[in-house]
Amino acid sequence: MADLNEIEVLLVEDNPNDTEMTLSALKKHNLANRLHHVKDGAEALAFIFATGAYSTRKVECSPKVVLLDLKLPKVDGLEVLRKMKADERTRLTPVVVLTSSNEDRDVLDSYRLGVNSYIVKPVDFAKFAESMRQLGLYWLLGNRSPR
Amino acid sequence: MKSGILIVDDSLAVRMDLDEAFRNGGFATTLCGTAAAARDALSRSAFALVVLDVLLPDADGVEFLKEVRATPGTSKIPVMLLSTEAEVRDRIRGLKTGADEYIGKPYDPTYIVSRAQELVRKTQPTQTAPSPPGILIIDDSATFREGLKAALEGKGYGVTLAESGEEGLRVAVGLRPRAVIVDGVLPGIDGATVIRRLRQDASLRRTPCILLTASEDSGGELQALDSGADAFVRKEEDIDVTLARLAAVLRSSDASQSVEAESSLLGPKKILAVDDSVTYLQELGAQLRQEGYEAILAPSGEEALELLAVQPVDCILLDVLMPGISGHETCRRLKSSPGWRDIPVLMLTARENREAMIEGINAGADDYISKSSEFDVLKARLRAQLRRKQFEDENRHIREQLLQKELEAAQSRAAGELAETRARLLMDLEAKNQELESFSYSVSHDLRAPLRAIDGFSRMLLEGHAQNLDGEGKRLLGVVVDNTRRMGQLIDDLLRFSRLGSTAMQKASVDMSALAKSVALELVESCPGRRIECSMGALSPAYGDPSLLRQVLQNLVGNAFKYSRTREVSRIEVSSRSEEEETVYTVRDNGVGFEMEYAHKLFGVFQRLHSSEEFEGTGVGLALVKRIVERHGGRVWAEGKVNEGASIHFTLPGQGDANGRP
Repeated sequence: MADLNEIEVLLVEDNPNDTEMTLSALKKHNLANRLHHVKDGAEALAFIFATGAYSTRKVECSPKVVLLDLKLPKVDGLEVLRKMKADERTRLTPVVVLTSSNEDRDVLDSYRLGVNSYIVKPVDFAKFAESMRQLGLYWLLGNRSPR
Repeated sequence: MKSGILIVDDSLAVRMDLDEAFRNGGFATTLCGTAAAARDALSRSAFALVVLDVLLPDADGVEFLKEVRATPGTSKIPVMLLSTEAEVRDRIRGLKTGADEYIGKPYDPTYIVSRAQELVRKTQPTQTAPSPPGILIIDDSATFREGLKAALEGKGYGVTLAESGEEGLRVAVGLRPRAVIVDGVLPGIDGATVIRRLRQDASLRRTPCILLTASEDSGGELQALDSGADAFVRKEEDIDVTLARLAAVLRSSDASQSVEAESSLLGPKKILAVDDSVTYLQELGAQLRQEGYEAILAPSGEEALELLAVQPVDCILLDVLMPGISGHETCRRLKSSPGWRDIPVLMLTARENREAMIEGINAGADDYISKSSEFDVLKARLRAQLRRKQFEDENRHIREQLLQKELEAAQSRAAGELAETRARLLMDLEAKNQELESFSYSVSHDLRAPLRAIDGFSRMLLEGHAQNLDGEGKRLLGVVVDNTRRMGQLIDDLLRFSRLGSTAMQKASVDMSALAKSVALELVESCPGRRIECSMGALSPAYGDPSLLRQVLQNLVGNAFKYSRTREVSRIEVSSRSEEEETVYTVRDNGVGFEMEYAHKLFGVFQRLHSSEEFEGTGVGLALVKRIVERHGGRVWAEGKVNEGASIHFTLPGQGDANGRP
């Protein structure tokens, strides 16, 4: 595991199958080298705000992108998003919501909370892989975050 | 309160008489001898009431009344018609023309004044009796009057004095005293009659009355109670006894004043006397008027019935033997009419006749009197009938009020229950909707996750471990992937279908031509290599939810593309036709068609007429179309023949004018 302050992608996902597929797709495009995976919203918050098990991290060293599932154990994705967008230090970290739900409610709530992008996890793996690839290239290579 | 009364009568004697009566009753008067003078007076000032003679030297009174009613400024003034003629026809004509009261001459001025006051009170409901109402003392002895007044005022009562029965009655109508103390023996009408008349006026009927009597014997007491007095006091008794009695009657009357006097029960009683003998009728009329009743005289049963149609009365005196319809027949007709059934009928017969009496009672008469009896007997029986009717009227009135209240209570209870039920149903509905929504959410979220895994891992297997799979293994895995895709499609379709019921429609004007073209263009792009001829006529615009209507066309045009793909050239035609209240849209293709006997199955969920090997699909599309069209208030149906193509028609309300609005 890479240095926690050097993490580029934080993947917040509780479903092991989705995690494996996401990792597989990202690896194929060489985007999973500096990736950290957490399984629930509480751990995600701990990582992002450098608390608990992650107290050695620096909050300022934010990942380049957070891939966030909405349906999570303990603290749900929208709550993680709300806390990140409410804090000056993490407000500018790009968040991409990853979910199988295409319910209008979630889209609306996510955008209201300031999500940067929203991707409905497609059942078709090829489409999923393609959207992951575009996402990775855009945020990790093309997009310069205001640091 | 001074209200102007306009008295129109050509007889100076009548004018002077009425003038005096009205002035005594507290009214200002204007006197006119002709219709011309009256017209002039009416145009110059406003009057509270008009007393109008039917026979005027320069006009017919009823015609003049018509004129008064037709003039905007005077149309609402109460009018009392006065007539020397006892002709029932005149009375009917007058009342039909809009008279508020019709009084025959000879008249009782007291009655006219009290009736006038009543009419004025009705038209000017805001004016209230002067307050505080006091005790009215009617006694002709000045010494006694003043003595009693001083004693009552000493106890804090307000006191008004009257010298005679007539004056007392006039004052009572205007004053509405808390109680009346009246001497039994008076120069004009006696004390008992005063009390009787008070009892006949609904607004004064409950006024406690104390009759003063000078006599020692029990006759005085009987006389007092018979007239309806609440108490009687001997004049020689100590004045304190009078005071105590007064306090007692006031106490009991205050306790029972809960029921308000009703205008329908107001006023002197009207007696209709029917007899073919004019002499007897006149005599009877005079006797009745003397008693303070308003007598209406009719010479035949026919005229009596005609009169009753325009004027209700309180009691009917009916001669048995009359030319035309007999007394018994008249009675039968009266008693079989719901409106008249409750009017007491007293049959009058020339001599005692047992059989006639039985027949009369059988016809529904309430009492039976021989003409040979004394008028006193007749009057007593009449009083009894009137008292009974008064009592029944009041009871009926109270019953009606109670019924009304019960009805209102029941209605408000029902309304409350309805509102409650509605609120509960709404809550249920909302809960159900919420359930459905969360169900949809779970389906979309939870069913997709494993499906995604099946699809994803199958592909990872195919891509990463292809070298370990033989041809059959790869084919089998392909089937898994295919079915996964179909299941995903099914979930999407079902969710879309179920969401249709709960989402609100956002209606707007929709350019159906543009919509159909864009839908067709997308489809053409998705089927490269096919020869497709699309014919899109100029479609009438629609008024509906644009995104839902797009789904309709996507499904219908999509089906047309799908089912015509086996043809060398696919021909697809979209057209519209405006009917009276709706527009019919049609999507036609030259595809495989279907058997008409299964046409009804096309629009059911999961209903398919082709296997998924022949044509892919979930069986939701047309069900979705049907649901959307029906939510817009339209219909949908299909026509087709095997191998000869299909036409799907749907209607949307409205003719599709420039705005697309119905």
